[in-house]
Amino acid sequence: MIAFVRLFIIAAILAFLQAFIIQQVDMGVWLRPMPYLLLFFITPMNMNKYGILVGGFFFGLFIDILGGNFGIHAASIVAVLFAKNFIDQRFIDFDSIKLQGETYVTVNTKGWAFFCYYTLSIIAIHHLAFFMLDYFEFVSFFRMLLSTVVSAIGSFLLILLFKSIIKS
Amino acid sequence: MFIVLQWLKRNSYPLLAFFLFGFAVNQIMRFQIYQHSYYYNSSISFARTIDQWRNNVSSYLNLKNENEGLRQENLLLRGQLSINKSAVNAFKDTTYFDSISKSLNNYKVVYTYIRANIVKNTVNSRNNYFIIDQGKKQGILDGMAVISPTGIVGVIINTADNFSRGMSVLNSKFEITPYIPKIELRQGVIGWSGMDYNVADLKEVNRTEQLKKGMQVVTSNYSSIFPPNIPIGTIKEVSQKNNSNFHQISIKLSTDFSRLQTVYCIKNNYHLEIDSLSNPIIDEVK
Repeated sequence: MIAFVRLFIIAAILAFLQAFIIQQVDMGVWLRPMPYLLLFFITPMNMNKYGILVGGFFFGLFIDILGGNFGIHAASIVAVLFAKNFIDQRFIDFDSIKLQGETYVTVNTKGWAFFCYYTLSIIAIHHLAFFMLDYFEFVSFFRMLLSTVVSAIGSFLLILLFKSIIKS
Repeated sequence: MFIVLQWLKRNSYPLLAFFLFGFAVNQIMRFQIYQHSYYYNSSISFARTIDQWRNNVSSYLNLKNENEGLRQENLLLRGQLSINKSAVNAFKDTTYFDSISKSLNNYKVVYTYIRANIVKNTVNSRNNYFIIDQGKKQGILDGMAVISPTGIVGVIINTADNFSRGMSVLNSKFEITPYIPKIELRQGVIGWSGMDYNVADLKEVNRTEQLKKGMQVVTSNYSSIFPPNIPIGTIKEVSQKNNSNFHQISIKLSTDFSRLQTVYCIKNNYHLEIDSLSNPIIDEVK
C-alpha cells in the first residue's frame, strides 16, 4: 500500500513537472524530453499488468489535460506499456531481480550496458509513437525520426537524474 | 461460444491495450486541430478516390445502357434537326426569308452545355443528391440545369473547384412546371413523393384537361433554368378524386436515376437578363 501511495505521488509530481515546466521550456525543435516515463521504470514488475495499463492510460490522459494535448501522451503510453510488457516477458528474469532485492530493472540487474539498451529502447518506442501521432504525416518522417532520437537521449539523461534523486 | 470466450480471455491484454489506444487516438482526432483537419481532408480525398474508382468500374459495366441512351438522344436530336431544316426550307419560299436569315446570322447562343460524369448518386433517401466530376474550374455554376441523354436530372446547388453537388429530381424540394405537347398544356407542378425513384407526381392540373396515359411530358419554355422540350417522362396514371378540382397524375420519369452516368450541365447565358426583367414584374404585381 505504501509503495502504491509512493508511486501515486511520484506520478503526480512527474505529470505536473512535464506539463508545467518541461513542456513550457523552449529547448529547440528537436528536443522534447519526457522524463515522466521514469514512473514505468520504477513500477514493480509483479504488479497487475492490466492495472498498470489502465493506470498508465489515465496518467497519460492527466498529462494531456494539463498540457492541452488531448490524447497523444495517453496513446503513446498505452503503446509503450504494451511493448514493455512484451519485452519484460521475453528478456527479463523477474526471479533473479527478486533475489537481488529489487522489484524493477536497475543497473545491478545485468550491468550498465543492458540497462542502457533496455531503458533507451523503451523510451524510443514511446517517443516514436508520440512523434508519429504528433507529426501525423509521412512527409515529415525523417524530422520525426530525428526528434525521436534527440528527445530519447534527453529523456534518458533526465530519467537517470530523477532516478538518482528518488534513490537518495 | 466457449471458444470465443477462451479467445477473448487469452487475448484480453492486447484487446484492452488496443481499446485504450483507440480511445486515445479518437480523442486526438476530435480535439487536436491539426490532426483533425489532416484526418478529415485525407478521408474526404480517399472517399472521392474510391468514388472515382467505383464510377470507372460501373461506367465500364454500364456501357451498353449508356450507348442505348446516347442512341436515343441521337434519334431525338436528328428528329429536331429535321424539323428545323424543314422550317427553314419552308421560309425560303416566303417573303420572310430575309428576316429569318438575318436572325440566323445573329444567332444567339442561349444555352452552353458542359459534359460531366456522375461520381456519386443517391436514390433511396427522401432528399437525393448527386455529385459530378466538374466544378468551378470547368465553368459549373450554382443553379445550372443538369440533364442526361434521356431526360432531366436536377439542378446544381454547390460547387467546389473540381466537383459539384446537385439536387436531383428525386428531392422533396425539387419542382418544375411541365409542358405536355400533345394538348399544349403548361400547367401544374412536378414533384417527387419519395415512394419510387422511377415515378414522380404531377399536381395542380385542372380536372377538365383531357390527359391520357402515355402522353409525353417535357420541360416548358417558361423555365429560366431548363431549356424547353427536354423529356421529363410520360404519364403513367391519371385519376380523379370526387371532391377535388385537380387530376392526380403519376409520371414515369424518362431518366433512370439508378444508372446515371453521363450528364450535361446547362448554363442559360441570358439567365440574369431574364431575371432582371422578371423582378420588376413581380414588384409591380406586389
